[in-house]
Amino acid sequence: MKTRDLIIGIVILVVALLLFWKSGQEMTEKRPVVVVYVSEDRVFSEPILKDFEKETGITVKAVYDTEEAKSTGVMNRLIAEKSNPQADVYWANEPIRAEILKQKGVSAPYLSPNAKEIPKIFKDPDGFWTGFSARARVLIVNSGINERPESILAYTETRWRGKSVIANPLFGTTTAHIAALFTYWGDDRADAFMRAMKRNGVALSTSNGESADFVAAGRYAFSLVDSDDAVNRIRQGRPVTMVYPDQKPDEPGCFIVPNAVLLIKGAPHPKEARRLVDYLLSKETEHKLAFADCAQIPLHPDVEIPEELQPIDTIRIMQVDYAKVAAKLLEIQPYLKRWVSE
Amino acid sequence: MRLFLASIVSILLFIGIVPILAMLIKAFMPDDTIPSLFGSMQTWMLMRHSVILASLVTVSTFLLGIPLGIFLGKTDLPFRRFFIFLFLIPLLVPPYIIAVAWSDLFQMSGLPLHWLSGLPGSLFILVSVYLPLPMLLTMIFLHTVHPHLEEAGRLVATWPLTLWRVTLPLIRPALLLAALLVFLLALGEFSVPMYLRYNVYAVESFTQFSAFYNFEAATAAAIPLVLFAALLTVAENRYLRNRIAIPRHFAQKNEFLRITLGRNRWSVLTGMACLAAIFVAMPIGSLLLQAGGIDSYLRALHVAGDALLRSFFYAFVGASVLTFFGFFTGYLFLKKPFYAARTIDPLLLFLFTLPGTVIGIALITFWNTPSTNIVYATTLIVLFGYLAKYTALTARISLATLAMVPPSMEEAAQMTGAGWFQRMIHIVIPLTRHGILGAWVVASLFILRDISITILLYPPGHDTLPVRIFTLMANGSPQLIASLCIVMIAAVVVPAAVAWGWFHYWGTKR
Repeated sequence: MKTRDLIIGIVILVVALLLFWKSGQEMTEKRPVVVVYVSEDRVFSEPILKDFEKETGITVKAVYDTEEAKSTGVMNRLIAEKSNPQADVYWANEPIRAEILKQKGVSAPYLSPNAKEIPKIFKDPDGFWTGFSARARVLIVNSGINERPESILAYTETRWRGKSVIANPLFGTTTAHIAALFTYWGDDRADAFMRAMKRNGVALSTSNGESADFVAAGRYAFSLVDSDDAVNRIRQGRPVTMVYPDQKPDEPGCFIVPNAVLLIKGAPHPKEARRLVDYLLSKETEHKLAFADCAQIPLHPDVEIPEELQPIDTIRIMQVDYAKVAAKLLEIQPYLKRWVSE
Repeated sequence: MRLFLASIVSILLFIGIVPILAMLIKAFMPDDTIPSLFGSMQTWMLMRHSVILASLVTVSTFLLGIPLGIFLGKTDLPFRRFFIFLFLIPLLVPPYIIAVAWSDLFQMSGLPLHWLSGLPGSLFILVSVYLPLPMLLTMIFLHTVHPHLEEAGRLVATWPLTLWRVTLPLIRPALLLAALLVFLLALGEFSVPMYLRYNVYAVESFTQFSAFYNFEAATAAAIPLVLFAALLTVAENRYLRNRIAIPRHFAQKNEFLRITLGRNRWSVLTGMACLAAIFVAMPIGSLLLQAGGIDSYLRALHVAGDALLRSFFYAFVGASVLTFFGFFTGYLFLKKPFYAARTIDPLLLFLFTLPGTVIGIALITFWNTPSTNIVYATTLIVLFGYLAKYTALTARISLATLAMVPPSMEEAAQMTGAGWFQRMIHIVIPLTRHGILGAWVVASLFILRDISITILLYPPGHDTLPVRIFTLMANGSPQLIASLCIVMIAAVVVPAAVAWGWFHYWGTKR
C-alpha cells in the first residue's frame, strides 16, 4: 500500500467523521432552531411542523414516537434527559403523559395567549400543559347491526357476548380511558366493569386501528376506538357508523383525549419553543388537524369542522381531572397487565 | 503496538461494556425491583414464550438451513449464486418489514389475519429472517473440510453417508455457532413478535420502559437477556471459538469436492425455487403490489429521501469506523500481545448478542449528562451504539482474514527492521484488503438495516430510513409504507448485489 493512498483514506475518513459529528449538532447552530419531541402520529404532525418552519423561518428538529410499536417512548427519553434537556417542546397525543411529565418535574409553566379560549378542563391551571385538537373515545359500530350500542356498558351486555373488541389496554388511549373510568366510577365499579367485559368474551386487538378494521370487516359488532379511527373508516366508505357513547344525563359522557403541548424545563431554545407552543395552540392549527385524516375536534369555539365530526360544545364530556387520571393510570398498570394476561 | 492496540480495546470497552455495567449496577441498587419482577408468574410465562419461540426458530432454521447450505454450497445445482443471494435478502432488511409484507399479503388475498398472528406467524417470519445464518455458515465451513477426508469417505460410502458421517461432524462447531446465534437473535427480537401479537420476554423490557416509565424495572427486565447472552457467549468461547474462528484449512475452488446431482438437479431446483418463492418472492411481491406505480416511489422518496441519504451516510461512516476497530481487534486477538486480549472477543460477541434496545438504554443513561453533550447531543452517540453492537462482526471477519496471512511475511519484514506500523501498512493491510472490504460491506449492511440502536439514540431531526418507516407506520397509508419498504429493501439489496458481484469477480480473477 502506498503511503499516499493511506493518507487519502485517512483524510476521507476524518472528514466524514467530522461531517457526521457536526451533522447532529444543534446547540451551536446560528439560525433559530426548536427541538420538539412528538408523540402524535408523524403523518399528521409533520405537515404542521413543516408549515411552522415555512411561516416562521425557525428550523424544527423533531424526534417522533412510534405509537403502535411503543419501542422508543419519546416521553421516556424526556425523563431520561431531565437533568440534561435536549428538547424544547413536547407534543403529546394525550394529556396523561403531559401530566406525568409535570409530576416528574420535566415541564415548565407557560400560559400561551392562544390558549385563552380553550376550556379549562383541557389545560393545566398553572400552564404546565395545554390541550388542543382532541379525539373523542367513540364506539365504531358495524352498519349491519340493527340496534346500535350507545354506551360502553354494551361491553358487559350478554347480547354482545363475543361480538366486541377493544385495543390492548396496556397501551395508548385505551389505557387512559380505563384510568378515566377508574377515576370517574371508583375502583370497585370500574373493576366490576372490567371483569364483566372479560366474562362477556371481549376480544383484544393490538391497536385502535386494528379494532376499527375488525369492525369494518364485520368480525365484531363494535369497538371502543378514537374518533379519528372511526372517521377514517367512514371516509374510506367502509360499512361503519360512529357513536358518541353515554350521552344521556345519568351517564358518564364521552371521554375526550386532547393533544397536549408543553414547554420543557431548561429548554435550550426557550424563545423559539414558546413560538411553537403558540403556533400549535392557534385556531389555524386546529383547523388543519380537523380537516386532516386524523379528523381531530377543535377545542377553540368557531373553528370550522368536517361533517363527520360534532363540535366539542355539543358533546356530553366525561368530567375528569386529567391529573387524577394520570396518577390512576400509573396505579392500575399492574392491574391491567394481570387483566390482559389472565 | 501494544499501546496502540490497548487504546483500541480501551475505547471499545469504554463505549460498550462500561455503560452496560453501569446500567446493571444501577438495576441492582433499588430495593425490590428485581424480586418483584421475578416473583411474578407473568415474567416466567413470557420467558417460557421467548424460549419456546427462540428454540423453535433455532430448530427450524437448523433443519432447513443445513440442507440448503449443502445444496447451495456443495452441489452443482444451477443458479446457486442467485439462490444464495435471494435467501440472504430477508436477513438484510429489518425483520418487521417482512412481517408488514406478509400482513399485506394476507390482507390482499383475503386470508384471515389471525392465521399470521401469535406463535405460528412469529415463528414463520423469524425463520425466513434467520434462515440465511445456518445456510451461510454451512456453506462457508464446508470449505474447511479437507477434501482428502471426504475422498476417503467416498471410497466406501455414498455422498449422503459421507456427508452424514464425515463432513457434517467436522463442521459441527460452526453449525452449533449458527444455532447459538439464531437462538440469541430470536430471543432478543421484539419487533416481529410485537407486530404479530405474541408476548415474549424481550417485550417485557420495552413495556417497562415505554408503558410503565420505570427505568430500573426496564433494566432489571433486561438482566435475563444479558445473562443468556453472557452464558452462551462463554459456552461459545469455551467450546467453539478455537475450532471455528481460525480455520486450519480452506479448500480452493480446484480442490473442493462438489456433489453431482445428476437427474435430481431439476427436482432440487424446483424445491429451491418453491422455498425462494415462499420466503422471498411472495412477501416482496405483495409489497410491490401494495406500493403500486412509480408515483408511489416518487412520493416515498419525497417523504423520506433525506432519511435515505442519511442512512447511507451513517452506514458509510459507521462501517469505516467499525472496520478500523474490528481490524485491529481481530489482529489483537490473533496475536494476543497481552493477556487481556483474550477477553475482548467474547465481550464483543456478548455485545452483539445483546438486544439493541438494552445497549441503547445503557448508552442513554451513561452519556446523558451536561458534561458529555459532545457525545449525547450529536450523532456520535449513534456511532457509539453501532460500535458497541456490531464490532464483533468486523472483528470476526478480520480475524479470519488475518489468520490466512502467513506469520513469516511479517517476520521477514521485521527482520529487515520494519516497525509495526510499517509492517501493517505495507504488508498486512495490502494482503488482507479484500477481507477488510468484506468487513466494511457487512458492517454497512447491518447499519443500514439497524433500527433498535438508531431509534433510541438518533439526535432530533436525524433519523434513518428504517426509523422513518417505523414512525410513519402509525396511521400512514399502506401504499406509502409499502413503497417505503421497497425503497428500504432496494437500499440494502442493491449495494449488497454490487458487493456480491464484485467479490465474485475478484474471486474468479484470482
